[in-house]
Amino acid sequence: MERRKFIQQTAAVASLTAIGGLTLPSFAKKKKHITILHTNDTHSHVEPFEASHYKYANKGGVARRATLVENVRKENPNTLLLDAGDIFQGTPYFNYFGGELEFKLMSMLKYDLATIGNHDFDNSIEGLYKQLPHANFNFVSANYDFKNTVLDTHVKPYQIFMKDGIKIGVFGLGIKLEGLVNPKMFKETKYYDPIDVSQDMSRILKEEKQCDLVICLSHLGYYSRRNPTEISDLNLAKATKNIDLIIGGHSHTFLPKPTIVKNIDNQNMLVNQVGCYGINVGRIDFYFDEEKNMTSKGKSIIV
Amino acid sequence: MRSTSKKIAFAFFLSFLLFSCQKEKHVVSKITAKTIAIDTSLTSVEAITKTIAPFKKEMIKEINTKISFTPKKIIRNDGDLESSLGNLIADLSYERANPTFNKETGNDIDFAMFNYGGIRAGIQAGNITNKHAFELMPFDNMFVVLELTGDKMEELISYLIKHKTAHPLSKHVQLTITKNEYNLFINNKKFDKKKNYFVLTTDYLQSGGDNMVFFKNPKNIYKQDYKMRDAIVDYFKSKDTIKPVLDNRFKRK
Repeated sequence: MERRKFIQQTAAVASLTAIGGLTLPSFAKKKKHITILHTNDTHSHVEPFEASHYKYANKGGVARRATLVENVRKENPNTLLLDAGDIFQGTPYFNYFGGELEFKLMSMLKYDLATIGNHDFDNSIEGLYKQLPHANFNFVSANYDFKNTVLDTHVKPYQIFMKDGIKIGVFGLGIKLEGLVNPKMFKETKYYDPIDVSQDMSRILKEEKQCDLVICLSHLGYYSRRNPTEISDLNLAKATKNIDLIIGGHSHTFLPKPTIVKNIDNQNMLVNQVGCYGINVGRIDFYFDEEKNMTSKGKSIIV
Repeated sequence: MRSTSKKIAFAFFLSFLLFSCQKEKHVVSKITAKTIAIDTSLTSVEAITKTIAPFKKEMIKEINTKISFTPKKIIRNDGDLESSLGNLIADLSYERANPTFNKETGNDIDFAMFNYGGIRAGIQAGNITNKHAFELMPFDNMFVVLELTGDKMEELISYLIKHKTAHPLSKHVQLTITKNEYNLFINNKKFDKKKNYFVLTTDYLQSGGDNMVFFKNPKNIYKQDYKMRDAIVDYFKSKDTIKPVLDNRFKRK
């Protein structure tokens, strides 16, 4: 009781100080700031497109992406670099080296986490497993069950990061493989409903693990106009709660900016995807208030 | 008694741990976002370029390895309703895919059909390399064999007649179109509407690519565990010299 009273009084002093225009050092604490960088569907595009390319001339390239990532990390060390799957397949680099180079380069860029796309099974689940030693980052998937496969225990449903006292939970979602990938490739990988799984995940991460930020790395695709009821990032966003950001892939959707979606609790959250082939990198910056210092309700989303 | 007090003490210790470990809760107050283009405005990190280099060298060597030879150029616009390149692609696909299909089902594929737009580049006279196969088929299309009813076959024929485009057809097809009618022989037998046909194509076209909607709901789909590009490479590797043909398999009178 005493403690609560103290907090209330402190808050009152804080707001008074603000009105008075005085800044006391103890209240001028910098806001905590987390930066999320993300890619999706890079599809073995290790090098930039050639100058003669009809659509993406001189775009992309991992060596240039590395410069961007370095610059952002210098600006804010509290940065996470994430990938939403389909790292494999698309250039002869994959055909000849099976994904070794892709994983090595991503490790050099210090990727923090990735999820698994359907094309990551293109050399079968063993082909993916074989390349894991080249990846210094983890893979998450909450709706693929790898129990009866070589990937068992190598892929976790989620990972939690602590950055500057901010707890960030990231979970992964994969697309239904049946009908999309040859069963000989994904073997006994089981698929579970993304919405059910996400409801579980967001509860675990937000309520049990007390994460300040919950991110879903999804390879479900942004939205299907042809099959509007089919599971997609937009449909997932509307049907769930406590997810702050869905980073998508699969549909190669070039969003100029993240889409703001109202979740099932009528709260605003973001869905983003940055096309494909490493042509773009998405950047999302989250600024935090300590709950007790909250001056106003809600958040401002400037996209 | 003693154990109870111990328990209490332990519980107290636990709650103390819990309390002291409880972290400050933070709430998102502001979000900003932008999409950043990766282009020439960014310099390259040398360590990355250096890591790519040996892979690139080996890849280029591999990709420029001679796998066959053609005395004549093979292109997609040297015929009217057929082309030497289209004929080659359709024939080699049939040749590579039929043995497996026959082993699995006991049936032979009747013919192969692909789309003109799907062949991306020609081959100049001289050595054929892996690079040609990648250029011909940059996509990872897989073979599928479709069992089509007579009705779907008629839709397929109407499509060919309507578009009058040199869509690749294997040599098992003899299609002649005149002003008001058509003549179709498949494996030297007149087209029979009452019969079902096994057609080799790709998963891309099966799913309705290039508006080939007659492939969409076949009586049966037999997915083949074989990429079209791999078939092209395998075929080239199996032949010293490629002899392109134009044989009027699809023509108008």
